[in-house]
Amino acid sequence: MKCLLIASESAEVLFHWTDPEFQQNVQKQYGASQEDGQGLPAFEDSISTLFAPIIISCITMVDRLRDSYTSFTTENHHIYVLHQFDECLYIAVNGDGEEGECDLRRKIYVVKKMTEVLFGMVTLSSNLLRKELRPQDTEQRARLWKHLQSLLQTYGHLRENDQSFLVEAVERLIHPTLCEQCIEFLERRLVQQLNSSGERAGEEVMHAFILVHTKLLAFYSSRNASSLSTSDLLVLIIMAQNMYPSNTDSDDPNPEDVESTSGSGPESFYTPEPSPPPDRGSSSSGEKPGRGSTPVFEFVDPDVQMAEDSLQTLEVPPPDPSTPRRVFLEVSLKDGLYPMMPHSMYCLPLWPGITLVLLTKIPTSAVAMSVYTFLEAFAKLEKRLSEGQEGSAATRGQRTIHEVRGKLDKFIKALGPTEIQSGQLQKEWIEFKNLAFTRGGPGFSRHLIPSCKKMKTQLCAVYRQCFLLESGSSSIPQRLSPGLQERAQSMVQEKLMDWKDFLLVKSRRNITMVSYLEDFPGLIHFICVDRSTGQMIAPSLNLTERNTSELGKGPLAQFIRRKVWTLVNTTRRYLQKGYSTVTFRDGDFYFCYFLWFENETGFKLEAGDLPVLSDDSAPIGMLAWDYYRKLLRYYSKSHQGEVVKCYELLTVHLGVVPAEIILQHCRQLASKLWEPSRNPLL
Amino acid sequence: VMTELMQPDSRRCTYFFLYDGSKVKGEGDLTREGICYFYPEETPLDEQELLCGQLAGAGRCVSELSSSPVCVLRLRRNKFAIRMKDDFFWALGCPVEVPTISVCELLDQLINLFRFYNGSVRRSYQLNRPETLASRWAQYLSHLQSGSSDLHHIFSCLRTIDATNIDPLLLLKAALILQACQRCPLVSAGCVLFRGRVVSTQISPELTMKVMVHESETYTKGPRCNDPGTFNSFGGAVSSTTVFLTRSSLAKFLPFSSHSTPHKKKPTRKTRLSRTLSNTPSTESEPSDAFSSPSFSRRLSDSSVFSPDPSQSGADPTPQQPDPPFSNGEPSPEAEEEVPEESNYESFHSNGNGVSQIGAEESRDHNVFEEVSGGGCGNVQGRGAESPDPARSDDSPLIPMTLYLHRVKGLVLALLVEPCFLSDTDSMEEVYHSSLASLNGLEAHLRTVSPGASGPQGPYLFAHFDCVQSTLTTNLSARPGGALQRPFVRATSLLHSHFCNTETLQEAIIRSAGAAVYGTRSVAQETYFQQHGGSLRNSGIPNHQDSAFSLPGKARHRLLKHGVNLI
Repeated sequence: MKCLLIASESAEVLFHWTDPEFQQNVQKQYGASQEDGQGLPAFEDSISTLFAPIIISCITMVDRLRDSYTSFTTENHHIYVLHQFDECLYIAVNGDGEEGECDLRRKIYVVKKMTEVLFGMVTLSSNLLRKELRPQDTEQRARLWKHLQSLLQTYGHLRENDQSFLVEAVERLIHPTLCEQCIEFLERRLVQQLNSSGERAGEEVMHAFILVHTKLLAFYSSRNASSLSTSDLLVLIIMAQNMYPSNTDSDDPNPEDVESTSGSGPESFYTPEPSPPPDRGSSSSGEKPGRGSTPVFEFVDPDVQMAEDSLQTLEVPPPDPSTPRRVFLEVSLKDGLYPMMPHSMYCLPLWPGITLVLLTKIPTSAVAMSVYTFLEAFAKLEKRLSEGQEGSAATRGQRTIHEVRGKLDKFIKALGPTEIQSGQLQKEWIEFKNLAFTRGGPGFSRHLIPSCKKMKTQLCAVYRQCFLLESGSSSIPQRLSPGLQERAQSMVQEKLMDWKDFLLVKSRRNITMVSYLEDFPGLIHFICVDRSTGQMIAPSLNLTERNTSELGKGPLAQFIRRKVWTLVNTTRRYLQKGYSTVTFRDGDFYFCYFLWFENETGFKLEAGDLPVLSDDSAPIGMLAWDYYRKLLRYYSKSHQGEVVKCYELLTVHLGVVPAEIILQHCRQLASKLWEPSRNPLL
Repeated sequence: VMTELMQPDSRRCTYFFLYDGSKVKGEGDLTREGICYFYPEETPLDEQELLCGQLAGAGRCVSELSSSPVCVLRLRRNKFAIRMKDDFFWALGCPVEVPTISVCELLDQLINLFRFYNGSVRRSYQLNRPETLASRWAQYLSHLQSGSSDLHHIFSCLRTIDATNIDPLLLLKAALILQACQRCPLVSAGCVLFRGRVVSTQISPELTMKVMVHESETYTKGPRCNDPGTFNSFGGAVSSTTVFLTRSSLAKFLPFSSHSTPHKKKPTRKTRLSRTLSNTPSTESEPSDAFSSPSFSRRLSDSSVFSPDPSQSGADPTPQQPDPPFSNGEPSPEAEEEVPEESNYESFHSNGNGVSQIGAEESRDHNVFEEVSGGGCGNVQGRGAESPDPARSDDSPLIPMTLYLHRVKGLVLALLVEPCFLSDTDSMEEVYHSSLASLNGLEAHLRTVSPGASGPQGPYLFAHFDCVQSTLTTNLSARPGGALQRPFVRATSLLHSHFCNTETLQEAIIRSAGAAVYGTRSVAQETYFQQHGGSLRNSGIPNHQDSAFSLPGKARHRLLKHGVNLI
């Protein structure tokens, strides 16, 4: 019995997802009074009526007590978790015991992350987000909600069944030779060809990767691309899985058929280095002129103008697979981090279970960077003003407001007066300038705060119009041409034809416990995560498909799987409170968890104090909120000038093994799994 | 002397209120009409209304959605244990660091205390003025919070006298006083308290805690002759009050009053009250579970029972006998003899949790361990049953009993008696006179015992919680705060929650940059240990030479002298 709800401060339901049990429960309670409980609107009404008192109470508590509900637990173990992001209240409910409070809080953050990937900076304006999440048009709303609901469902399924989504790190297929070949293929053949094609409509492929189910076979980023964050990559994998779900029972060939052709044996394995090459900094400066340091001047670029013209031509995506998904991803450039930059995502199915994903930069993306720069400037200004700073104190320490003034003037001019949105932005901007810069006016004082807010909203609206709006009139959609997409698809298909069956099996049995039994007697399972790169390895624990894991299929295997899932949650709880080493004896098992830091040469760094977080803090992981990135940043403060890496190891041993031996095992695993050469132990 | 008891030092409770929704049904009804009691009392009324109204409203809404009452509600800065029954809504708020299970326990204790002294809550509000009852809630709450150190926020435990400074024979004497009183068939069971601490008890920790509230109340009020509960005939030293017990708690110490007596724990009361306690009991006295051991009989005949000479008791090489598996608070003579100077409170009880087995042969330790683990699950479940959810048990009939209190200065004999005891002058006088001399003697001895320095400090911190007897042994200083202790308390709090949530968890080591803490538990006890100093500076990478992993061994070794045997 599960439910997730997003509500506005006026208790309007902006989005909901319920499983059939929850829906039945609501209908049972409400249906009696409702004469015809059929159809979506009736259910939506009842759910909003039922939750309204909680939502209103929550808002009252914030207003009057400066505190808010974070959770409710009932005697029959139903859990309600509440979290407010700006003016949107998220409520997640579980009544079947499958999710705990931390799972529900994580789910809320994941939904928030998904809205960011889907709507970008529009999420920064609650007002606009409300409209975006709950379109007036019921059909459009139904379609959007269905999409979000199925993303949520896919996430839920992966979190429950896939170890990489349990620990929130990407799992690579361990087959170094093939991986290397594929990366080379993506680089030399695919991306190069796509980016030099005339049919790319101004788009530029930045990243290309091949997924086998949820595991990464090869990942290539073009030279002038910023690296893709783990958080974004994990969301993209969820989206790809959502589009082409792995049918866990039927798409696998019989493992025995393929095992003989597999490259198992004493090969020299290594995990391919993720691209791009290390000299990213220098290459990024060599890209299109004007990008980065002075984005404003780019608006004279004819490309931009063309894109502006084509804004009107964006259309409602038909169920045409060649229409890309608009996704908003983080871009880190030399001059800073730009969150939620627009990209197009092309998800090309190669075979069931194997997918090629292309991420392209769209030609107008520089607009997004400018919008972000302005938004940031106004947000900072607003913050300082509301803290009581006035005059020059309020504008200190950032791009001077005068510089912003010049750039924004140019930006508005470049947008052109024809756009309704830019007209409103201009109106608001003139008003702001009158207040801020006019001699004898209020200047930089508290009075400017409402104007700052309005500017932010208008900027978000411009961004929305540029990157989200689906306008009715149709001509050629902005995308890589279908023919080009087809060519890409068949090129990769051709390349992997002989490997496809092997890959499908390999993805289920990436590494197996059997290979470790001799060296580590008593070891039942382990998970090792490199948090600096966001990658993990673990012996496979799949129980849902036909070919069972080594643990077999019975209750014991299920039991160990459940233990592993609980262990991850428990260790996160301790990590949240600052404990980086945890061992338990639980029933017949002995569990260990270690988190440590190394420098680039593999030298183990001293364990520092880890931050102690509150119970309702953001979930520990990399998907929704990158705890580890913040942890690394925090830790690096005391290790200036060193590249700090962060690793985690979880092990499950039989309880009869002496603790000393268990610890020796852990040490060996820790040092061997991530040796400087990164040769995974097999 | 009692000031320390009433000190409202660190409050674990930030809010407590009882809200009666039945008073606020109509449109024009004010929320304040429904507020039966609100703590802290100085909270502005509109804030009281806000909290009561919002929490009760949101709570009801969630309850309706889930068809089940809300039991825990969290805010960002406070967490609340909630109980909903009919139209009553109880909420007890604590800072978020306090384990949720401890907050719920505290609220259950509070409601159960109220019911113990007042009977059904609804009926009390029908019969009494709300102000009167409000002052009772205040009294119970302040009692439950009194003298709480940081660890008391985690474990709700009985305050016991420091047995390390007391001649074990005094404890035995207290137990014998209770036994002697039980010879009167109207007396069910009781406990002996000294200055707000338990000396000996025959009743469950939960009941003992409840009885202690009345004791501290009569102590602070002082004996008043016009009090309806006081008896002039006994010089104001004796008082009584009506109390209400659930059938299940009654069954625990009344073997004959219930059809479903789980164990036969009490000595059979065959003989009448034939002699007073000031006579030394002879070897032929009660042949019962606890007294059947030959060593006990010999012990009694060998020495003067009330001899305060510790050397004599310590020197006697009494042969070891297995303790009865669970003697429910009856004294175990072995325990008292064996306990070394630094022993802990458990010494005056024996529940076979290993306390009394120091220095005993391994086989015997084994034996005891098996007994404990044999009763494993039963015990865990039993614990839950002992503090039944008041919301549900409010329906269960409450049986009125009488709490009889006989005070000799700081010493109190508290007995649960049949209500007719008070009208049975003969029985009353018999109990009074038979115990008077012994009480006087015991009081005189206990009074001379200096509070004494607390146990050896050592380069480590530990806390040992006996779940069966609800007693806590620790070398932490009682004052809350203490920067050095905080990491230990924090870790203990987390581990305790983990132990409570995971039945199969046996031991854990957790380490932050500053502290490594080891926790271990059996069905009967939880122990937490932290070693000071040593170099904790390390990388956090798995390393079997890491000092954190030597904690289990160190704990086993170090805690022996505190009477904690981790086997």
